[in-house]
Amino acid sequence: MNLERVPNEEKLTLCRKYYLGGFAFLPFLWLVNVVWFFKEAFVKPTYNEQPLIKTYVKRSALGLLFWVAVLTTWITIFQHLRAEWGEVSDYLSFTIPLGVE
Amino acid sequence: MGPGYAKWIITVVFCWLVQIASSNSVEQKIYVELNNTVPCVRLLNATHQMGCQSSISGNTGVLHMLETESDLDIILNTGPHPPYMVLMDAAFFNSNTMMRMKNSTRVAGVAVVISNSGPPQGFSPHNKCPNQNTGVYSDTYGPRLADCNGTVWNPLGNGLSFEDFKFPIFSMKDDNQTEVIRKCILDHNMGVNGSVPTYPLCAIQLFSHMHAVTSTATCMRRNDIQNNYSLNPETFCDPLGDYNVWAPLRPINFTDKGHKANESVVVAATRLDGRSFFWDIATGAEGTVAGFVTLLAASQALKPTAQQAPPPRNILFTFFQGEAFDYIGSSRMVYDMENKNFVIDLDNVHSVLEIGQVGLRRGTDLYMHTDPISRRNNSSVNEEVEILFSNMSSVAAGLGLTLAQPTVTQPLPPSSFQRFLRARSIPGVVLADHQSAFNNKYYESVYDNAAYLNASYPPDLTPEEQLEHVTDAALALADVATLVARSLYLQAGGEESQIPNITADPKIVTQLLYGFLIQSNNSYFRSLTNPEDNSLLESQAPQYYVGVPITSSTIKRSTRMVQYLLANYTGNPTSLNQSKCQDPSGLPGESKELYTYLWVRGSNGSESSPYCCRSTVRRTKAISPAFDLDLKQYDSQIYSTWTESRWKLIRARIFLVASHDLEMLTLGVGIAVLLLSLLITYFLSSKAELLFAPAQESPGTAY
Repeated sequence: MNLERVPNEEKLTLCRKYYLGGFAFLPFLWLVNVVWFFKEAFVKPTYNEQPLIKTYVKRSALGLLFWVAVLTTWITIFQHLRAEWGEVSDYLSFTIPLGVE
Repeated sequence: MGPGYAKWIITVVFCWLVQIASSNSVEQKIYVELNNTVPCVRLLNATHQMGCQSSISGNTGVLHMLETESDLDIILNTGPHPPYMVLMDAAFFNSNTMMRMKNSTRVAGVAVVISNSGPPQGFSPHNKCPNQNTGVYSDTYGPRLADCNGTVWNPLGNGLSFEDFKFPIFSMKDDNQTEVIRKCILDHNMGVNGSVPTYPLCAIQLFSHMHAVTSTATCMRRNDIQNNYSLNPETFCDPLGDYNVWAPLRPINFTDKGHKANESVVVAATRLDGRSFFWDIATGAEGTVAGFVTLLAASQALKPTAQQAPPPRNILFTFFQGEAFDYIGSSRMVYDMENKNFVIDLDNVHSVLEIGQVGLRRGTDLYMHTDPISRRNNSSVNEEVEILFSNMSSVAAGLGLTLAQPTVTQPLPPSSFQRFLRARSIPGVVLADHQSAFNNKYYESVYDNAAYLNASYPPDLTPEEQLEHVTDAALALADVATLVARSLYLQAGGEESQIPNITADPKIVTQLLYGFLIQSNNSYFRSLTNPEDNSLLESQAPQYYVGVPITSSTIKRSTRMVQYLLANYTGNPTSLNQSKCQDPSGLPGESKELYTYLWVRGSNGSESSPYCCRSTVRRTKAISPAFDLDLKQYDSQIYSTWTESRWKLIRARIFLVASHDLEMLTLGVGIAVLLLSLLITYFLSSKAELLFAPAQESPGTAY
């Protein structure tokens, strides 16, 4: 879909849908929202729906950042301590690497 | 443009694919594959991993021949091309060298060229006290005898099989292939007049990446998790195991498990397996074959008399599999007996006569090992052992053998009988050729082979002549087999007057030794097995490493072979035809509960005269109880927990490697060319209008 050709009201609905959808543990929707609507929110000359789009994009970015922080921390901890945890980490792993402790 | 064009494209693509698949000539030009190699693989027990492994993409290193002590210094300290792949003769394959390499980061792997005969001072990669922790002696049972405190059975053991090497170790035979490697080293890796050799150098790449790590507890847990939760489960390791083979003299109903009233059984036991440092090489001539050939010959010698004048007690011939790995077979049978899963239980066991290593006796000496603890604590056991000893001694004297008891305080050598004693005080002896430490200088090593057992043949004999040639080893073992057969008959309560009729045939012993040590594909073995069982016989020496079952129904060749032989020796030919042989139920006098029916090729000169052999021989699973679904004790201290890791690729190849600088230069030039081509393309497309004259405007096209 080309945003250029979409009327402003529809842009707002779309942006809101993505923003709300992100709360269903789908941080990638927020990522898409931020990338997709960044220009609409911060570059384009002002129009009526822009302030709301701006808020959604900002909040999406914030949520995304939170997710990135949480996931990076967890992945770092898990990868470092997986071997040490032994049994627990085997149960946490979906694929267990071959030939590695 | 049309269907014709599409067809043309498909043809071109297809040709291209075929070319890729059929000729990888570049690879063939670079690498020389080494096919006759055997790796050392990773084995695991309850607490440790041991063996060898490469990285997932194989270990590569410049080859260096280890011939002198100074070579070792070059490899470990001064050489300019680390990490090295070490090519060594078997003489250097000892604990000292290997441990120094293990602790060095400059060794990428080892290739050992195995010779046919071992070093004269002996070599055993096993430990000094085999099956130390799963025998009967422990803190609660004869604590002063535990851990080989009394007698070190295998003093030459250097424990290499129990080390965990972080690099691959492959073995090779001394043949054309090793000549190729040697030539490659001589041509490329020897500097002129002692100078540093220059690139390109001869290198070798060894692949033996192992899936399992840490311990059996870890890899079995991962197996279970993957099986339960993964859509595409990976297996990390498999429990070692195969089948025990056994046959009672008088039939026992197979479907009726647990205690049998009025059944008193003398167990005649021996082991069916051995091992070595390398995977699936275990010739075990003295350690394994001598024992079970003796018991097979004894069963054959016993049959006529036992059928004419059956002794009051039953005799159970048992061949235990997996004994080298903490008594897998015997612990399983005892466990089944305790849990009423076997045709008899421990109450039915009258006594045990086990045949240990008997092929290398010094002069006429044989030794009868007994358990001092049960004899001291239990007077009835002691009495029975004394009776057994006096019976055997008198039989031995008649054969010109000297049978002695080691000192009364000496414990039992590593033996399956220990697993029976763990469960109960049962009278029994272990017959062996050694008084204390093993006579076997090559215990559980690749050198424990036919030549070491003196089963050697004069040159220029055809295979058929070799088969018939009675070797010294066969003569010696035939005496032992006679001793065993007669002792069993007396022990089972048979008449003393029948004893002279029981004699083992040296010719059969020599044929057995030939089949089990030289090649199983011979006319004698063919005549005693099913002609349709093509995969059974092989034209080389069978290997006795217990291994893991490839599928749930695979059975080791040697196990099946022993089953066929035992069936022929203890059973009788019947007049059933081939289809009736498979399912004789309903026929008068035949019963699948009591007997096993095997279709056998038979022999009538060179012609085959197949018949159906009815015997009491059975196979039961020899998988450690630790892996039993009811128990699942992967960290068991009581039962064997040995597993073998899985792997995807075992491979060895040699090639010439260029210097690091040259490799980097090639890569750099490649990248530069790529970037340049991108740049040119970009330039060309941006200036396309200038460079290429616009095509003639086609009139009439409007969008």
